[in-house]
Amino acid sequence: MRDANAIDFWRGLALVTIFINHIPGNTFERYTYSQYGISDAAELFVFLAGWSIGIATRTRDGRPEPALRSVLRLMSRTIEVYRAQITVMAIALALIAGTALLLDNPLILEWHNAGTFFADPIQTIVGIVLLTHQLGFFNILPLYVVLLGIAPVFILLARVSRLAALALSTGLYLTSLVEEWNLPSWPGQGDWFFNPLCWQLLLVLGFVLEDWNRKSDTLRRWSRRLTPIGIGIVLVGIVLSVLELRPDPLLVPEPRLIFTFDKTYLSPARLIHFLGVVLAFQAVYAMLAPRIGVVVGYLTSLGRNSLAVFSMGSVFSLAGQLLRFWTGGGLLIDVVIFATGLFALGFTAWFVEWRSRKQPARA
Amino acid sequence: MAFPQATGPGVKAVTGSLRPALLALLALLLAAPSGAQEPAPEVARPAPTVVSPPTAAASPAGEALDPSLSPECRVPGSKLYTLAKLQAVKAALKEKRPVRVLAVGSNSAGPGASASYPVKLETALERSLPDVDVVVEARGLQGEIASGAAERLRSMVADVEPDLVVWQVGTHDALARVELDAFADALDETVRWIKSHDIDVVLVDPVYTASLAQDEYYLSIVHKVQEVAARERVPLVQRYAAMRFLSGRTDKSEDHMLGRQFRLNDLGLRCMAEHVTRAITLSLLQPDATGTAGPVLGKSLQPAAKDGTPGPQVNPTPDAH
Repeated sequence: MRDANAIDFWRGLALVTIFINHIPGNTFERYTYSQYGISDAAELFVFLAGWSIGIATRTRDGRPEPALRSVLRLMSRTIEVYRAQITVMAIALALIAGTALLLDNPLILEWHNAGTFFADPIQTIVGIVLLTHQLGFFNILPLYVVLLGIAPVFILLARVSRLAALALSTGLYLTSLVEEWNLPSWPGQGDWFFNPLCWQLLLVLGFVLEDWNRKSDTLRRWSRRLTPIGIGIVLVGIVLSVLELRPDPLLVPEPRLIFTFDKTYLSPARLIHFLGVVLAFQAVYAMLAPRIGVVVGYLTSLGRNSLAVFSMGSVFSLAGQLLRFWTGGGLLIDVVIFATGLFALGFTAWFVEWRSRKQPARA
Repeated sequence: MAFPQATGPGVKAVTGSLRPALLALLALLLAAPSGAQEPAPEVARPAPTVVSPPTAAASPAGEALDPSLSPECRVPGSKLYTLAKLQAVKAALKEKRPVRVLAVGSNSAGPGASASYPVKLETALERSLPDVDVVVEARGLQGEIASGAAERLRSMVADVEPDLVVWQVGTHDALARVELDAFADALDETVRWIKSHDIDVVLVDPVYTASLAQDEYYLSIVHKVQEVAARERVPLVQRYAAMRFLSGRTDKSEDHMLGRQFRLNDLGLRCMAEHVTRAITLSLLQPDATGTAGPVLGKSLQPAAKDGTPGPQVNPTPDAH
């Protein structure tokens, strides 16, 4: 078990935020930082994933591990994430169907994209296994599977030249924005909710910056100097989102995705806002950590076990949504869901670590 | 454009060639037993209320079922739609270019359906608008209108650039029990935004199911959709009212493994393409001249029928723009 650190702390915070934001309409939603900016917890989660890959594919003294081992490591992680997605989808569909049966209410079957599965299971089960059919709120892991799948290309390239990896990644990002490339959904029309061709840039950025950060203190110096700019960007983000100011996608010039605030394509505004958030908050962990030990302990335990916590969190969120619908919601229910959810996330993290302690020599 | 295997009895006459197709269209619009004026009183009426207890099989005041619909989907006009003008679609028809439709919401046409909802909608629209090429693009819209989904809809509209948006709205917000006013405001604002870009909108309100018939919140969501449709003068397909009507008369037909509500739900999904098509077709007959919808349908159609105007011109009163 690694010690508490900033990466796990922020990742833990992102996980709690995602859990709350995935129960739309609940009271606590308005207290998450996603409501006060252009980007949200998804950006943080993917960026930190890239940063962690940088740490994971090196030995303790900072030298890169053998290329083949890194590739196999990423492959094995890809399979773990894929397995988590399939499991979570099965549980989610069963929760939806079970609730519809229990309440004798077929409306629930129409829950965010689930209707397709219940009306046409033959095509849709193929789509689920291929990751081309995603339920609403269950679309981050498919992104993650693709990102980890293509990560070896960038990581091996970055060992030759960080700049080349970043250039390739940025090139793919910009081309996808301009040409509106995305992976297709099937069955049904449309595309992926999180476009991997664009979101890969955040992963690569996380990876490259981690590498640069470790090799020299130039990045640290500059990011400290640029903190005021980051704070400025965060303030602008607060104003824009509170006043609900955003460009009209039918009025902006072509290529329009460059100018809109689009989540699917990670439009530049979201990316810039996210980098501003990183600059503004880079020093906050060091300031907070000595003062809020319990919170740090809790959030870092979530961050250390992010896949399990994220997977269970999405199931808990769905259960929370269904409970809110069934009971009619209200502050009391929201408090119960929030408290139970935080406990369940913490328990998941503790349980995963307990299990790995029990079986130190895993086959 | 002819899909005989999917044709309901009401539209059996439609075939590929122009003249029978036109005649079928006219027949379809005029064939109500109570005469050509039948749908007219409906359009002048304010949005019907839905909170009263379910009616029995007989329709109120002996209003006839709309015979242009397949038998299992037949509902009286007042239960099915409120009409309003569709300028952008009319313009597309006039310019004889394909009509682009963005269908937002569930793609499902019910288990075991002959085709998905977008395919059915395209087929039904092309059957109702002879010689018009209709292209339906379908998109699922996840999330709530009150939070992120309104924004995503804008991106979708910018992406597809349709003439008409057919929007099944309210289900996700109802499931999340978002605040009613937040929902209504966001919906109103989004509809206004779509219209401000000269794109037509047809709203489809959420489904009826017995376990929610007494749920005040759910009924309020349905009401809010109606209110926004009335305020923004866009056609509304009253799926809730239509399904509640159908629920009163489906007892005798086949059963469903999971119970009546699930059968009704399947039926609602199966009928949706027809119901939406009916609301669009009749809305296209709204006159351009005056502001409010009036009892114009029968009267304005008749001269065209006598003249035998050929072609896809659905609006029989030519206007100047």
